[in-house]
Amino acid sequence: ENISDFSLNTTDCTQVVVPEEVFFTVAAAGILENLLILIAVVRNKNLHLPMYFFICSLAISDMLGSLYKTLENIFIILCKMGYLTRHGDFEKKLDDAMDSMFILSLLGSIFSLLAIAADRYITIFYALRYHNIMTLRRASVILAVIWAFCAGSSIAIALFSYEAATVIPFTILFPLMMFFILCLYVHMFLLARSHAKKIASLPSSTVHHRTNTKGAITLTIFLGVFLCCWAPFVLHILLARFCPHNPYCACYMSIFHVNGTLIMCNAIINPMIFAFRSPELRSTFKKMFNCSR
Amino acid sequence: MSALRLVSNRTSQQALSNSDYTWDYEYYEYAPVSFEGLKAHKYSIVIGFWVGLAVFVFFMFFVLTLLTKTGAPHQDNAELSEKRFRMNSFVADFGRPLESERVFSHQMAEESQSLFHFCINEMDHMNKAKESQKGPNLESNTHFQEVPKSSGMFEEDLHCLTKFNIPNFVNTEQNSSLGEDDLLISEPPIILENKLVKQSSHRILD
Repeated sequence: ENISDFSLNTTDCTQVVVPEEVFFTVAAAGILENLLILIAVVRNKNLHLPMYFFICSLAISDMLGSLYKTLENIFIILCKMGYLTRHGDFEKKLDDAMDSMFILSLLGSIFSLLAIAADRYITIFYALRYHNIMTLRRASVILAVIWAFCAGSSIAIALFSYEAATVIPFTILFPLMMFFILCLYVHMFLLARSHAKKIASLPSSTVHHRTNTKGAITLTIFLGVFLCCWAPFVLHILLARFCPHNPYCACYMSIFHVNGTLIMCNAIINPMIFAFRSPELRSTFKKMFNCSR
Repeated sequence: MSALRLVSNRTSQQALSNSDYTWDYEYYEYAPVSFEGLKAHKYSIVIGFWVGLAVFVFFMFFVLTLLTKTGAPHQDNAELSEKRFRMNSFVADFGRPLESERVFSHQMAEESQSLFHFCINEMDHMNKAKESQKGPNLESNTHFQEVPKSSGMFEEDLHCLTKFNIPNFVNTEQNSSLGEDDLLISEPPIILENKLVKQSSHRILD
């Protein structure tokens, strides 16, 4: 059955096409930005800390996501130019490999965010023992375990993506992790609030008391960006598995390219809200760019 | 652009047999979907999803804002001048902790200390990065001088709970962060078993 000649109903939802240039620009920007972060952390000895390792892990998973889209585009172009056949086992394996890369990127992002939240949590609640709890070696081990798990799951999901048994856990993992991260941050918030109250009640205290919305804004941005960039794709997978013939579902699935672009935007935004907040990293960048002039 | 359809054929393989694998796209068009007789708008899932997501994000923001409300009134100008005075007196009498800070620091709970120490560590890294060879008061003065330049940035500079804007640890007001540095420098007398704390405090001082 040749896919390309389906009949177009006038009320159909046609695929919303994102121009190739936009795709490539967004993907390239994401890859470059995250690569810069990796280089900066590697070059600056002061940044060899567990916190920055987790940020690097996030940068790697973002890079993988953008890389996936870039490679996909390149392969399409190669197909168009005739270097790759449209049918064939090799292409199928290639496609599976790329799908698993994409899922690896998603899982890596989720777990990296979780690791960053847990690291901050330990920093705050076990601050005196933080350096004993979170040594460099432990952080490396944690990252290795996370990435091994993500790699295994992504290969399994890519191979068995037709089973409902893989789609459902995948889509459940996503909100579950978000909820867990939210709980960690909310607990940190509550501590901050109790601190503020304690400080406010001290007789010699001369601090400002006001509603601090900055923390709420920061956390909302963290989680909101991740949700808005990945949830559309996750919903897409769910609908594709369970109601592909439904016209409403089909209309949602027609904006697949937009969802893909959102994921690449996430790769661009994540460094800004995690990595670039660190002054050490910013100063490393400045040095890098000043040296190159 | 019709020839350029992007990939991802995972679920399209469901309807096709294995030999029909293609790179062509149409993610789901293995059977024509009829759009006759739709009761609601055809993009209703899209609209519903995005509206739901926006509502959820706003709801989360409001809940978090409520959680961080401290609820006490403003104290403005008197406080600013007082802090400036304390700062000047600190610079003048380096090494002699100010009374109020000492009282305050002794009253702090361990939790507060934990926050401090995280901030101390961060400041420590900042110090190392600056590779300053100068004496302690100059060093701390450098910090204080920098704060006005990047008024809102000091808070973010600490990259710790400062983001949550705990008053007295982090604040967008430069003077409050000066107050925090006051506290950090008057810290060393606090007896803590943690060697790290002493080291970082000494590094700030030396």
